[in-house]
Amino acid sequence: MTMIVGALVLIVLLLSVLVAGLLRSHATILRRLHQLGAGIDIDPGAAAVDPGAPTAGTGGAAPGRVVPRTDGTVPAPDATVPDGRMAVDVSGVGPRGEAIATRVVGVSHDTLLVFLSSGCTSCLAFWNDLGTRPLPLGTRLIVVTRGPEHESPAAVQELAPTGVTVIMSTPAHDDLRVPGSPFVVLVDGPSGRVVGEGTATSYEQVLALFLRAGDDASSEPGGKAAADRRREAKLDRLLLDAGIAPGDPSLYQSPGAPLGDGDLHDHDRDDHHDHDGFIAPLAVDAQAPAQRPDAAGPR
Amino acid sequence: MDLKGHGLAATMPPGWEGTISLDQGDEAFELAGEGGILRPVAHLANFPLPVDRGDFGSGAVELMRTQDVFVALLEYAPEEAGSALFAAQGLPRKLDPRRFNAASLQRGMPGQAGLQEFFTEGGRPFCLYVVLGDADDVHLQVRKVEQVLASVRIEPRP
Repeated sequence: MTMIVGALVLIVLLLSVLVAGLLRSHATILRRLHQLGAGIDIDPGAAAVDPGAPTAGTGGAAPGRVVPRTDGTVPAPDATVPDGRMAVDVSGVGPRGEAIATRVVGVSHDTLLVFLSSGCTSCLAFWNDLGTRPLPLGTRLIVVTRGPEHESPAAVQELAPTGVTVIMSTPAHDDLRVPGSPFVVLVDGPSGRVVGEGTATSYEQVLALFLRAGDDASSEPGGKAAADRRREAKLDRLLLDAGIAPGDPSLYQSPGAPLGDGDLHDHDRDDHHDHDGFIAPLAVDAQAPAQRPDAAGPR
Repeated sequence: MDLKGHGLAATMPPGWEGTISLDQGDEAFELAGEGGILRPVAHLANFPLPVDRGDFGSGAVELMRTQDVFVALLEYAPEEAGSALFAAQGLPRKLDPRRFNAASLQRGMPGQAGLQEFFTEGGRPFCLYVVLGDADDVHLQVRKVEQVLASVRIEPRP
């Protein structure tokens, strides 16, 4: 009997140790989860303290992008830098023999690089369609062919659409690892990262895939590009920092007009606000050419 | 990023781009038809240069924002090298901000300021034409121009 009681006591003790260990392990897991920002949010309005999360100073992440978290011992990745490999600036010669060096990396605008050849049949549709469809504001179109050692400048000149920058550069093909023609690379200007690349059967398809993707606010060509959205977000932030919220009367006044005259018209609001009620980038429109460019120019 | 062609070369500072082409104007073609040769024109800018531009930047200066600057370097016929207009020797790499004004603009645009300098280097006569996007911020913008001018190289006439 004593043996049985002793064995039961021993079993109870062992189970107690086991349960204590499980409880301790569970508490450790809960503590780590809490440090990572998980758990029951008792106050939905209160933001969880996350030492590893990007701070307000680094800007917000792009919608739909998963921002990696850290435990706070290493800096969080900059949420404003998009994923993708680094692009390169494009240098080469034009079809007329001019030397050209264009900046693609570290600029405020995005660049759509369209790699074409004068000889490939599938490129013909691109040559014909380039320049017929406007790119969204803030995106620059550059056509790149291989250098004069591979392409006939005269043939490229004949195909080149009016008003489109054409650069003949074999190094650009090599540096950006272009597998063939046609091929399209979209570069985010400020970061210099390649944010989209691939091939398509038509220029129309390229516009649909790269430039309008994710932009549910616009289904028409000429919609907002990434650079345009960044500019708009920056303007919104500057205005909010200055205490000017959407609907502020000062937004609807002409320069020099007295504040608070109350002379607001509904159509003015509609003209200058987007669907979110924030201010559209009027400064961009103000930069439109005042006169038609004179290609010949004074000399 | 380096730019080189037609006896001119430059290293682009960050944010700058450029072209060096032959003057494609009607007058240049007329001169070439009489036994002359097309003269190079270099355009340097810290903003995206449009394809269609005049020698003095028409077509580009209209797109400039206040922080933008435009530099044109235009070569003239070699016989001009000995004239009084091109008597100054060497590309001016330091510019006097007080000499920039709206009257020097080839294409007058509100808020912009310009400067023209004529000189000879390596036996080649040139005009340096600079447009600043903001006439009220001349000192800072001239520093930007001087940064790119420091990298310009002009090969002597063979």
